[in-house]
Amino acid sequence: MTLPILPTAIVGSYAMPGWLERLKTDYFARRISRHDLDEIYDAAVKAAIKDQETAGLDVITDGELRRDNMVDYFAERLPGVQIDRTSKKFYYDFYDSAVMSKLPMASMGLVQDFTFLNTFTDRVPKFCVTGPHCLTKRIRNQFYPSEEAFATDIARVMNMELKRIRNQFYPSEEAFATDIARVMNMELKALVKAGATFIQIDEPYYSGFPEDLAWGVNVINTLVDGVNARIAIHICYGNRYGKPSWEGSYRYLFPTILKAKVQQLTLEFARRGGEDLDLFKEFNAPFELGLGVIDVKNTDIETPDMVAQHIRKALEVIPAEKIHILTDCGCFHLPRDVTFAKMKAMVEGTKIVRKELGR
Amino acid sequence: MILKLNHLKVKAAAATQGVIEAVYALVGEGLIDQGQFARLQVELDWIQYKSNFREAVTATQGYNAMGQPCPIMDIHVDTRQVVPETLRTDLLRAIHRAQAGAEADACRLPLEEFQSLRSSIVWTFNRFFWRHLLAWEAATGKGYDKALPGGSSDGHNPLAIADDVAEFLDLLCDLRSRNQLPPEVNLLEVGVGNGSRCAQWLDQFQLLDQQRGTGLYSRVCFYMGDYSEDTLNKARLTVTKHIDQCRFVQVDAINPIKSLAQLRHKILQVHLTNVYDNLPDEEVVRRDGKLYFVQVRAYVPQTAVNSIGGKYGIPPELFRDRVYHMLETGFDSFGGPTHGVPFWQELWAAMRLEERLVQLEDLPEFPFPEGLDAGRLEDILQDAPTDFRFHLSSGALESFIRTLPLLHPRGYMQVFDIFVTDMAQYRTGFFGPGKLDGSLLNWVNGALLKEVAQREGYNVNFRPFKYRANTHTSILYTTRRE
Repeated sequence: MTLPILPTAIVGSYAMPGWLERLKTDYFARRISRHDLDEIYDAAVKAAIKDQETAGLDVITDGELRRDNMVDYFAERLPGVQIDRTSKKFYYDFYDSAVMSKLPMASMGLVQDFTFLNTFTDRVPKFCVTGPHCLTKRIRNQFYPSEEAFATDIARVMNMELKRIRNQFYPSEEAFATDIARVMNMELKALVKAGATFIQIDEPYYSGFPEDLAWGVNVINTLVDGVNARIAIHICYGNRYGKPSWEGSYRYLFPTILKAKVQQLTLEFARRGGEDLDLFKEFNAPFELGLGVIDVKNTDIETPDMVAQHIRKALEVIPAEKIHILTDCGCFHLPRDVTFAKMKAMVEGTKIVRKELGR
Repeated sequence: MILKLNHLKVKAAAATQGVIEAVYALVGEGLIDQGQFARLQVELDWIQYKSNFREAVTATQGYNAMGQPCPIMDIHVDTRQVVPETLRTDLLRAIHRAQAGAEADACRLPLEEFQSLRSSIVWTFNRFFWRHLLAWEAATGKGYDKALPGGSSDGHNPLAIADDVAEFLDLLCDLRSRNQLPPEVNLLEVGVGNGSRCAQWLDQFQLLDQQRGTGLYSRVCFYMGDYSEDTLNKARLTVTKHIDQCRFVQVDAINPIKSLAQLRHKILQVHLTNVYDNLPDEEVVRRDGKLYFVQVRAYVPQTAVNSIGGKYGIPPELFRDRVYHMLETGFDSFGGPTHGVPFWQELWAAMRLEERLVQLEDLPEFPFPEGLDAGRLEDILQDAPTDFRFHLSSGALESFIRTLPLLHPRGYMQVFDIFVTDMAQYRTGFFGPGKLDGSLLNWVNGALLKEVAQREGYNVNFRPFKYRANTHTSILYTTRRE
């Protein structure tokens, strides 16, 4: 399947409807069964696929509507991670989870969700997974605002070091993340075998922990080793509850990120402005750029002209063949009608530039 | 009958026996029928605010969603006002009035139809007070601050300011150590009054910045927000010394992000003192598993209409029109504030609210304030008492929800105010509305704000205001949550 010039897509998640939030929470309150919830998920995912297609997107995701958040869906599936199922009341909360021994190599069962997506769209499907760095951060430390606070409190209570608590086996975060990457590498290969050609890895925590970047990139390379698909890595400034978790510049990524064996960097520019685009030129980055042109932290709907402006700015430093047009991040927290209108604006704005390029 | 003592004041308990005897006597005389007695709820309150909107005894009739009376009736006895000798008469009168519904009552001049407290004329009076504050202060000979429980605003407390400045500077240093300190350090205060807190805060920050050698003072942008341009002009004079660090913005307290949209996710500290308790509010009653909306109607007792009208030459039939005319145009029809302000003050002192309960049958259709909907309210009420009355704190909630998006990921918001921090607290006292000078005062449902904020991605904690003894003020402290 060939993509047009400047292909359009959402980063991953589609708008989470209020009714689905209620039903997810009902499931946790034991008011509906798992079977009913799965049927509801199927219907919701089909609707999300249809919305993306109707809006005119070229690359389609399943909207990640089966996921409570970007961590638990994977934590539940990672073999060897223990989940305290009583630890959340509202579906979007994080589970309290821990790893007590070396992660065994076992399937995570992601193929089923990809197959569902692939069955219900004839456009290019993109499957998104949360990266090992992010999972390592969340599984290790669920409740404390900073590692320092966590460590201080734990040390006071248990006289133990932070790095020995949630992770009771691995000697370092890097070692833990590397093993997650090994397990997930097997899963990514299974996805490719099932037909996946486009996989996106989400690593929002890089921006909060830039000091981890060097080993974070090594872990990514372990994750994608031998995975024969277009690999994008999405790095943003967080989107928990539709709000940024950090602020700053993407300059911290360079030059370390150049070692990542991925085809595409997917970055947010709509909300933060395009100043960091020059980094691609300054470091002669070999990647495709997933250009965020839609602000997902604001319900104001962009006009096609605004979208076109963003794209033209990117074209000053990167050729059109190496640009994908995207939302800044997932649309999880936006209302459905707003998301749809934003996607339409993104498609229309892209058409304007394609026309200018004569493509 | 259910008898509830909504207070912890021992003195108030003295009235309990009298109330029980009076109710039983009325039942015995057939003035309250058995069916009604079974559904009656008598609540004894100790009204904190001596100046309020209640008579000593009030009765509130329940209505179903079709507008027909249902057997629910609440009787409220203000044990601070009630006189044992007139208790029986007061009870009987209150019940009869409640049963009469919206029908004309020769003893009262209604100023409006029954409606939500939020849209009641009392809030027009509240706005009128702030618009004509100088005239009110001139007439009383004292500043508004003097009416506050401590005689001054808690926001001005120097120790509270010093602690806050130190905490804030620590935050800035931490951000700088992580290369995450923005070029401009934005702060916002909504409702700046005369600007005194901003001036004190900047004085203290400048001093500490010099002492620690952090060199951050010049990066501070202090947004001073108020809805009144006059107030901002007054505040500007107070912060002359720090004028380069200050920005002056007209801000609607209920919708701060509207005029500050360019600062979304960029403000490191938001501060408000005694703003939320003065924003439009409404109340809901939970009874027998059903929710009832409290509707109110402002009225002036006919005796007050006659006495005030007589004094100012206003015939009873024109009284209501003159009230509305004053609220719209000021004191011209009185020849100026010299006569107009005393009329206003006497009128405000005499004003009361009568109430009725209307069942909320179609909850999802209810016009909830932003941030709240039927599902969330049901979730919140799961752990709340089954039978109680609470504030929706609509204005405060909307203001809160429309301020939070301004916060920088590491920013925090602090609100000094009077908060109900747990829904169960509503069973231990009366929390407004009351009157404070010419303004309206309601405790803020902090428990509700906390639940709503959590769903929006924020942690809310309440800290006691430790800087003044015996204060009801507490500090709502908000940061982002994971």
